[in-house]
Amino acid sequence: MDFYDFAVGPLLWISFLVFLIGSLLRVVLFFYVSSQKDKAIYRYFSWKYVLATIGRWLFPFNKDVAKNPIFTIVAYVFHICLLVVPIWFSGHISLWEESRLEWSWSSIPDSLADWMTIILLGIVIFFLLRRIISPEVRLISTASDYLLLVVTGLPFLTGYFLTHGTLDSVGFIGDNMMLIHILSGELMLLLIPFTKLSHFVLFFLSRGATAIEFGRRGYSI
Amino acid sequence: MSEEKQLATEEHLESRIMEFLKPRMGARFKTWMKICAHCGLCSDTCHFYLSNGKEPKMIPSYKIRFLKDILRKKGKVDKPYLQEVYKTIYHECNMCRRCSLYCPFGIDIAMMISLLRGLLTSVGMVPDGLAKAVANYQESGNQMAITKEDWIETLEWCEEETAEELAGLKIPIDKKGAKIMYTVNAREPKFYPQDIMEMAKIFHVAGEDWTFPSEKGWDATNLAMFVNDAQTAKSIAENTFKRAEELGVKQIAITE
Repeated sequence: MDFYDFAVGPLLWISFLVFLIGSLLRVVLFFYVSSQKDKAIYRYFSWKYVLATIGRWLFPFNKDVAKNPIFTIVAYVFHICLLVVPIWFSGHISLWEESRLEWSWSSIPDSLADWMTIILLGIVIFFLLRRIISPEVRLISTASDYLLLVVTGLPFLTGYFLTHGTLDSVGFIGDNMMLIHILSGELMLLLIPFTKLSHFVLFFLSRGATAIEFGRRGYSI
Repeated sequence: MSEEKQLATEEHLESRIMEFLKPRMGARFKTWMKICAHCGLCSDTCHFYLSNGKEPKMIPSYKIRFLKDILRKKGKVDKPYLQEVYKTIYHECNMCRRCSLYCPFGIDIAMMISLLRGLLTSVGMVPDGLAKAVANYQESGNQMAITKEDWIETLEWCEEETAEELAGLKIPIDKKGAKIMYTVNAREPKFYPQDIMEMAKIFHVAGEDWTFPSEKGWDATNLAMFVNDAQTAKSIAENTFKRAEELGVKQIAITE
């Protein structure tokens, strides 16, 4: 087994398992700890508030959109591109079809995937610049914040290079773009449960818990 | 309890801090510290930030940095460190909770400030005025250390004076089955009895069926919440509800 086989075999399994099990554990841990130390959430539990708040914040119907229209809209677009491309890009779907699971679903046009990739990369640069230039954001930024932006952008950047052969002639990188792309995706998956990227699941729990109290008190949720 | 509120010696600080934090580090606090994306959207929701020329150190996400730091250091912090914490959580935040409303993840930053206040309270670092008020609540059930006798006497002469203006005006005390139990800011009997008299006039003219309780529970304030002395805060609120239940009233009205 050479390194490539390892990357598309065992390492792929590990990345997905760490991502899925890690995220699941984060959720389970939340419910377990909260059942001991945040009992108020369950005492005053309300599906109405939980669903309303998730709806309002998953979609742009919340206070932040009015207050910071540019940043919030940009962030929404970013997340749409982030989720749509890896799942509905034809190149990835082919791999699922060829796998032992033989899953198949329709894809988005490749040109749309291209555009979404470019837009996402542009937004990554916008986030990076904002983090560097804005004094408040810079003050609270940690190394992790900068690194995770790079980690998130890399699969998209390398994916673009791969599908367009942009760096094909650039020696080592050109020869191994597929491997680099795969590794960059695996890196992101591995980091999700251990970093703020876990907001991918924890958002729902945090939002819901807060809305249970805020809704009851008549605050905006 | 007030006698025990001496500043813990440095050797005991570490264990007192972790003793306080461990049982309170619930799922929400842990999650919030993990998922804060450092997006900075909380910045211009904070009036301290805005009124201090948009000073970055005033942004809510920055102000609660101590919580994560103290946990990472496992409570190994010294008094000068805690004094820095004190400065931020008492002079740079009043827990208005506006930041919590605007955080996309629903991180309740104000509640984390409150937790830090509770932490400092547990090691005896409390603003003098609030320490005094809390001690008063524990002793007499109200912020101003007004005795039951003084309370009743004040209400009696308020009634006398006001009845001269509006014949038949009464300030009912411990009237069972009244519709409304009214509670006031403890400053009113102490410094502003005219506020009580004004309300009595309004109740009288409106023909409202109301009463004051004679025992602890008539103080509508709860300053113990400001220092996150949860136990005292709870007993203050409990007193009011107990009186309401004993008197069998339908509603509790508060002065503010």
